[in-house]
Amino acid sequence: MLTTSGNEFIPEAGTCVSWKIKKDELGELPGNEEMVKKYWDMLDAFAYSFIWFWVQR
Amino acid sequence: MSDKQKLFQERLARYLTALDCGKPDKVPISFSVGEWAVKYTNSTLQEVYYDIEKGNSITSQVLDETLSALDFDVFGGGISLWWPPMFDVMGSKLYKFPGISLEENSTFQYVEEEYMKADDYDEFTANPTGWLLTKYLPRISEEFSEPGSYRSCVALIKSAAAFAMANNSAAKGWESWLGQHGLVPAGTGFSKAPFDTLGDALRGMKGILLDIRRRPEKVLAACEAIIPHNIAYGMITAQGDTTFPCFMPLHRGAYPFLSLEQWMKFYWPSLKAVIEGLWAQGKRTFFFAEGDWTPYIERIAELPDKSILFIIDKTDPVKAKKVFGGRFCLYGGVPTTLLTYGKPKEVKECAKRMIDELGYDGGYVLAPGGVVMGDAKRENMLALIEAGREYGVY
Repeated sequence: MLTTSGNEFIPEAGTCVSWKIKKDELGELPGNEEMVKKYWDMLDAFAYSFIWFWVQR
Repeated sequence: MSDKQKLFQERLARYLTALDCGKPDKVPISFSVGEWAVKYTNSTLQEVYYDIEKGNSITSQVLDETLSALDFDVFGGGISLWWPPMFDVMGSKLYKFPGISLEENSTFQYVEEEYMKADDYDEFTANPTGWLLTKYLPRISEEFSEPGSYRSCVALIKSAAAFAMANNSAAKGWESWLGQHGLVPAGTGFSKAPFDTLGDALRGMKGILLDIRRRPEKVLAACEAIIPHNIAYGMITAQGDTTFPCFMPLHRGAYPFLSLEQWMKFYWPSLKAVIEGLWAQGKRTFFFAEGDWTPYIERIAELPDKSILFIIDKTDPVKAKKVFGGRFCLYGGVPTTLLTYGKPKEVKECAKRMIDELGYDGGYVLAPGGVVMGDAKRENMLALIEAGREYGVY
């Protein structure tokens, strides 16, 4: 199991650290949450495709 | 609308009609530029592998020259498959590339090992992504063998950057090839059969074949755990596109790697689940069935109508047409060995036969029956396109 901030989780398919998990850690955001989420998701998907790339030959 | 855009719309309609098993105005023709094109240039394979721009430019040159005299619709891609620097910076054990571990005009080689041990099944199955990152990557990467160390952190930064750079170069190449020539892409995205994900890069051929006898339940559980990942990977690498099929090279599922009983138990259920999972999101699968799949045709017919594009390599074309006709589009049928060892006349005769047998009522794309190898002859590739337009007008 992976550990982050003391919480253990198994990443769902298509994610490494999903926005849901990060959002729980961040709590309420003072600005535009959708904008933060959009780029979090984009880079999370990049990391996911990088990790799985090595076995999808 | 420019002439190229009009051409693109014409070809798109032709391809999509065939994918939906309809009868377009002409049999769509698919063409790819592979390593076979490099021998007609002054470049080495090492240069083409390492210098992506050179690979892209050779691809553009072949398209310019070919399309000035011939007409085809669907483009399967350019020369470059992988960018070796991404592997070099990780000290990857997975491949040998020209110029660093092979002579400069050799094609790449995959180094198959049991990178995942039999004892790793439970941990992998419980958390596939976590296990790949923390256990698998360090094992296959000399520079990333001690995560957290200076060398490993640097290696990961470099390799992730290289992944982004390679993807960006590939995207620019595609944009240019499609935009400047009015071609449509054969597919978008990439995925695999879960049994192949496990058998190719994790357990290896020997490992997986022993496992289905010694620990069959572990194999089945691992395949089950991979299903959602291969659906997600297909959609992520396609960037959500559902117009074109998701490329899925199929390896151990070809007969006779497995008996029918083994295929039914270990290979098919999880592959079927991935295809159905993609189809549920509107994404068709490019069922790249290299080798002979004839014994499995009836099982494959269980899939939803139009959910796959089935490539004919050594599968019996007549039986495939009889069972799949009107339900799945067929693709290929011209043996890659013929493109290497045959003559243009033989290629044209074969293409005509495939159009007659597979495409008489639509639902067919003329193409090679597999990945065209580096020793294929240019005149044979061109003969295939010529035959398509000569015999493939409805």
